[in-house]
Amino acid sequence: MGEMAISATPGAELVAIGLGSCVGLVLIDLRLSIAGLAHIVLPDSMGKDGPVAKFADLAVPALVESVLTAGAERRHLRAILIGGAQMFITGSTMEIGVRNTLAVRQALSYADIPIQSEDVGGSAGRTARVVVGREVSSQAVGGPRLSLLSPDASPSHGRGTATRMAVARDLTGGCAAAALACAVALALSGSIRI
Amino acid sequence: MSAPYTETQLDALRELANIASGTAATSLSQMLGHQVDMNVPMATAVPLANAVELVGDPADVVTGIILTVSGDLAALVVLLIHPTGVQTLSKLLAVEPETEVGDSALCEIGNIIGASYLNAISTMTGLALAPSTPTQINDLLGAIVESTLAATVAQDENVLIVDSQLQLPGESCEITFMLLPQQNSANNLLAPLGLAMGGV
Repeated sequence: MGEMAISATPGAELVAIGLGSCVGLVLIDLRLSIAGLAHIVLPDSMGKDGPVAKFADLAVPALVESVLTAGAERRHLRAILIGGAQMFITGSTMEIGVRNTLAVRQALSYADIPIQSEDVGGSAGRTARVVVGREVSSQAVGGPRLSLLSPDASPSHGRGTATRMAVARDLTGGCAAAALACAVALALSGSIRI
Repeated sequence: MSAPYTETQLDALRELANIASGTAATSLSQMLGHQVDMNVPMATAVPLANAVELVGDPADVVTGIILTVSGDLAALVVLLIHPTGVQTLSKLLAVEPETEVGDSALCEIGNIIGASYLNAISTMTGLALAPSTPTQINDLLGAIVESTLAATVAQDENVLIVDSQLQLPGESCEITFMLLPQQNSANNLLAPLGLAMGGV
């Protein structure tokens, strides 16, 4: 929670297990095998410090900066949102998931990064999995693994009223960018759980 | 804003949880007609990034029962039960798991544990605490815990987790339960013990 990971190694995995009201924000470079994943917990830092990926308003620019540092090109960056569910209702703190999703969308719009696809809302927890240069997927308990890169992503699973849109786009592997020094965790191989 | 807890404060919260979960264990034992043991509760303040793994494996599918506490303390009480535990509890209560009756019986367990735990805290601190009716969800432990943290303590740099475990000896059943005070609300628990944080 509140962490991010970046990788420029084709095939490396970035995973966020059990996203409830949190939003897993994936940034990919459409041409290069570079991806970043942030586990965003709350919509607004309200001027506070904290782990940079914790708040949507700080996480989006930080993740953009990190994937650019790792060699991505800004004009080829696309975002994928996973999570933002409402698992339960607690009176005063309703709809953190919805507020997280809106805050991430707004910050992406501010950063001028288009949204490639989303699997957000509803009431089920999800696991976000990124295989750098190959695949971005979302999976709820008992549901199928939903590919958020392939053109035939089907909006037919999950509880509640999940909204989902998938834009067909091939992620051509491309050459791996040289792994540049990066302020955050840089995956060189294997799987990183955040 | 973020509250660094002292060892004395954490000790006090641990002791509070110890007495309260003892009371909860007794109530559960009477309800089930089976011995219930408890371990020494944990009260700790950890970085948010480590919080979920402290509670359990985020990939486990568990039953979560959540009560909202209002009154003099704003908090969530969260019970987590693994599927084997649900089977055991259902057997002892003579209900079918994953049916309407089964789910309602589990919520009743949440009610009993939550109410007796909160009653004990209320008695010790003089705070008036009102639990809501429980909500039940079956999902990834990670998703349940992170969402309850996000709704309570996640603003803080180090999040306060007060967590106890109840076990049924001879059965594979473990109930984890957590008290998650809303941000800044932990002070309401500490103040009656003379351990409030500065300025209150």
